[in-house]
Amino acid sequence: MAKQSHPTMSRALQRRENISGYLFLLPSLVFFIGFVVIPMLICIITSLTDANMHDQGMFGSFVGLSNFTKLMSDGTFLEALKNTFIIVIVSVPTVCAFSLWVSSAIYKLSGPVLSAFRCIFYLPVVTGSVAVTVVWKWMYDNYTGIFNHVLKGVGLIDQNINWLGDSKYALWCIILILFTTSVGQPIVLYVSALGNVDQTLIEAAEVDGANSFQVFWQVKWAQMMPTTLYILVITTINSFQCFALIQLLTKGGAGTNTVMYHIYWTAFKLTEQAGHFGYANAMGVVLAIFIGLLSALQFKLAKEK
Amino acid sequence: MKMKKLLAIVLAMAMVMALAACGGGKDDSQPPADDQTQSGSQTPEAPEEPASAGELTLWTYPIGNWGKEEEVKAITDAFTADTGISVKVEYLAYADGDDKVNSAITAKNAPDLIMEGPERLVTNWGDKGYLVDLSDMFDDTDKSEINEAAMAACTHSNGSVYEYPLVITAHCMAINLDAFKEAGADVYLNLDTHTWTTTDFINAVEALYDHYQAPVGAVYCKGQGGDQGTRALVNNLYGGTFATASHDQYTWDDDENIKALEQLKSMPGIAFDASLEGGDEIKVFYQGILKMAFCWNIAQQLNPNQADTGAGLTANGEEIVFMGFPAQGGSPALQGGIWGFGIFDNGDQARIENAKTFIKWMCDSEHTVDAVKTANYFAARSAAEGTDLSGIWADNDIMNEYQILMPYLGDYYQVTKGWAGARTEWWTMLQKVGEGADIAETVAAYAANANAADAG
Amino acid sequence: MKIETGRGRAYKIASVIILVILAFLFTFPLYWIVTGAFKNGADINATKPIWVPSEWVMNNFDKLMKQRSVPLWEVYLPFGSFFNGGKKMLLTAGPEAPAAIRWLINAVLMCVLAMLFTCLTAAMAGYALAKKRFNGRAILFSLIVCAMALPKQVILIPLLKEMSALRLYDSLWAVIFPTVGWPFGVFLMKQFSESIPGEILEATRIDGASELKTFTTVVMPMIKPGIGALAIFTFINCWNDYFMQLVMLASGSNFTIPLGIATLQAETSVDNGLLMAGATLAAAPIIIVFLIFQKYFTQGITMGAVKG
Repeated sequence: MAKQSHPTMSRALQRRENISGYLFLLPSLVFFIGFVVIPMLICIITSLTDANMHDQGMFGSFVGLSNFTKLMSDGTFLEALKNTFIIVIVSVPTVCAFSLWVSSAIYKLSGPVLSAFRCIFYLPVVTGSVAVTVVWKWMYDNYTGIFNHVLKGVGLIDQNINWLGDSKYALWCIILILFTTSVGQPIVLYVSALGNVDQTLIEAAEVDGANSFQVFWQVKWAQMMPTTLYILVITTINSFQCFALIQLLTKGGAGTNTVMYHIYWTAFKLTEQAGHFGYANAMGVVLAIFIGLLSALQFKLAKEK
Repeated sequence: MKMKKLLAIVLAMAMVMALAACGGGKDDSQPPADDQTQSGSQTPEAPEEPASAGELTLWTYPIGNWGKEEEVKAITDAFTADTGISVKVEYLAYADGDDKVNSAITAKNAPDLIMEGPERLVTNWGDKGYLVDLSDMFDDTDKSEINEAAMAACTHSNGSVYEYPLVITAHCMAINLDAFKEAGADVYLNLDTHTWTTTDFINAVEALYDHYQAPVGAVYCKGQGGDQGTRALVNNLYGGTFATASHDQYTWDDDENIKALEQLKSMPGIAFDASLEGGDEIKVFYQGILKMAFCWNIAQQLNPNQADTGAGLTANGEEIVFMGFPAQGGSPALQGGIWGFGIFDNGDQARIENAKTFIKWMCDSEHTVDAVKTANYFAARSAAEGTDLSGIWADNDIMNEYQILMPYLGDYYQVTKGWAGARTEWWTMLQKVGEGADIAETVAAYAANANAADAG
Repeated sequence: MKIETGRGRAYKIASVIILVILAFLFTFPLYWIVTGAFKNGADINATKPIWVPSEWVMNNFDKLMKQRSVPLWEVYLPFGSFFNGGKKMLLTAGPEAPAAIRWLINAVLMCVLAMLFTCLTAAMAGYALAKKRFNGRAILFSLIVCAMALPKQVILIPLLKEMSALRLYDSLWAVIFPTVGWPFGVFLMKQFSESIPGEILEATRIDGASELKTFTTVVMPMIKPGIGALAIFTFINCWNDYFMQLVMLASGSNFTIPLGIATLQAETSVDNGLLMAGATLAAAPIIIVFLIFQKYFTQGITMGAVKG
């Protein structure tokens, strides 16, 4: 960052950098500003109004922060917010830990076996979210699903469990699907990171009498920090993309509502509610603030390392 | 280098092709809701372009076979041949159809014609001013021919008619007769009248449960799909009502409904299942697992199931019999289904006229017979332009038998204000009840929500 | 190397067993989709799971193909709606064909376009962010980082209205453009471009090469693996972006295969055989793309992260 005002950089050179920099950025900025930043700004403005579907204009009349105060006492929204956090907080660390374990177990295997494993763990990602969701829906089925069949067969349960219909299980079932579609990339990343760990450092540590556990934490883990942070980022992004799962599996029922789904529901199902667009946008703003904070935190961590 | 050149060519070609392929935005048969002018689309205005006479878009929900392209195409082709107006049909599903229509309205891209019932056309889109008033399409003959209740439901409280009714039916339930016989529960059924009492129902479920040791019926509540079934079941059991007769308030928190929910909850043979919607329930019923389905009507009865064992049979060939919902005196108040067409006001008078031509052709002409038969329901009127419609199903035994349930048609309360919100409250409430929440409290809370939303 | 202790050996064996079990579990959904697609009605509706189809039938695919029919392709004059009073100007339409085929074409076209646009714009922007010291760089980068995890539901309503105003609603562009605007690609390409040695760029500049020439001849070849990774990444993401497809595409001729499958599952009575046939069609192209480009993918994606 310091280079930005580098003392040796003449004003002419700075201008040149500015022009060429922004020219290179231009195509990307057109899309980024046009389809992310501007909608976000409109979203923020609308969140302060009572806009709804039936008004012709983009904005209704200004209502201050009343949408936000209403949100704070809206049980459905708060539950959705809680669920969103559960999903992120549970899935991010488990994905990281799981993929780290799998990677450390497979990275020394021979080429074809390794690449077979990598492919297999990647399969759920490339099967496509909708295809994966419809098949899991069938597998979870209360009456004819294989989960109940197998678990009953081995005697673990004696009554069918209503996986997607029971709020004790439904959210965890969704997290499980999300999990299988999230571990593919981290495994690929960790495998190569483990392969790139500086061998001399490991040997040095071993000479110093470190056991394999210490070697792992003090040498390998430290060297893989950038990879881990990157994985944290992409897994977080992934965890917020669970709309299809909710829409196709539970419709936000059985304790699986998330803010992402509730925005959609408020916008297009509760169209009779006064000011529902403004209200939905207010939810969006709250979610965006939380995500912004989360991202900032992650990158602050990244900087410190 | 060769690789790079090739890549460049492919890239360039793809761009050009794609620009051409998905360039432009609007549907070709769709004028923008408010084009150059920014004025509201509510007020019809003269189109600035010469009207594209001869094109219409129709969005239809799966109403009987109006959800099957093969059948719909036959009838719209006939219409096109007759009038020169071509029709582009899109098929909506109940699960996300409302969202689709609402997002299309938001994007000012609503279709010309929509086929559904008054709960959406009158209470929702009509009420909000998106639809054209069709009252000029009804003369005195029409009014005398059309079923009175249907006509009333299609008329908004402001006097505008937002739906031209085509077909009506009564929603009912179905039972797996072979399973009932096996469990000895068929003694509780009156197969002549297709009705039963609450006590019969309770005994039958008990007998079935004793025999199969698993839930035999499901109060499905994953979403709103097919919720007419759960509503009718709960309301009829002890004679509760869903809304007031004047359609201004929801009354599903009355004692009769609470008693019914408590009764259902206490029966091991009845599961409250938040993983099922109406469509899922029917699948499980077809598979022979559930012995009764609450999401049923005559179109289901006439439809062969997916395993192709034939109409009126489950996947393993067991016999399906339709039944009225159990009620204390044995005579239920059945939930009506009324379906017809509405016209979205997209500001183009010529298209509105075309849409009216379409409606007239389908709902009030000698072709009405075909339109009704496509839906697999009963005609909403006794005669259309001289064609008698009362006997069109005379050659169909099942339809004839089904007539027996039609007198039980109850109040069409789906036009109560705030309906879309109330449905959300209803299935969420069922989920909570299913999870064992205090029934009286939960019911009261959610009914209050529904009434509050309606007031808002 | 150390001599393996008994415990270490036991751990190894256990982990291999667990891995094999996991591999089985991860492949099972795909197996279930494919076998489900070829099962007959009786097997599909059986109350107990049928592990292997009793007979392999094409029945479900037949049904899928008969569901709807739409023109195989439709080519419109770009932005014709602006000159034609809001109506798209149809140049040519293909013969009527099963909708599933059209959905497949739409989905592939959509993803390929999103991929091309993203790779091009992101590579340029990433390079600029990494190597150009322009004013406002830090703040722009933070903006990009913060927007990366933003789910599209947040901007659903404004985006929908914007697409309507641009007359892009109900066209594939309405899904493509927001995908291109999503800043993850820029972030990824910046990570790659960081690794380009400054001296090389300096040398090219002293040689008198223009900025554009430097980019195409020096930068592009160096970040090629990254572009490969981003390409696959964008393809998969766009394919899986069910939400944008659901909201932005209205007519059956503009559906994509994932959206089409989801619509089938929403219909009155659920037919798992039909769904699995659709899911097979929806999964096949993307799995093929993955297997073809697998090498680039593992290469590219790891380099970006490790250097980050």
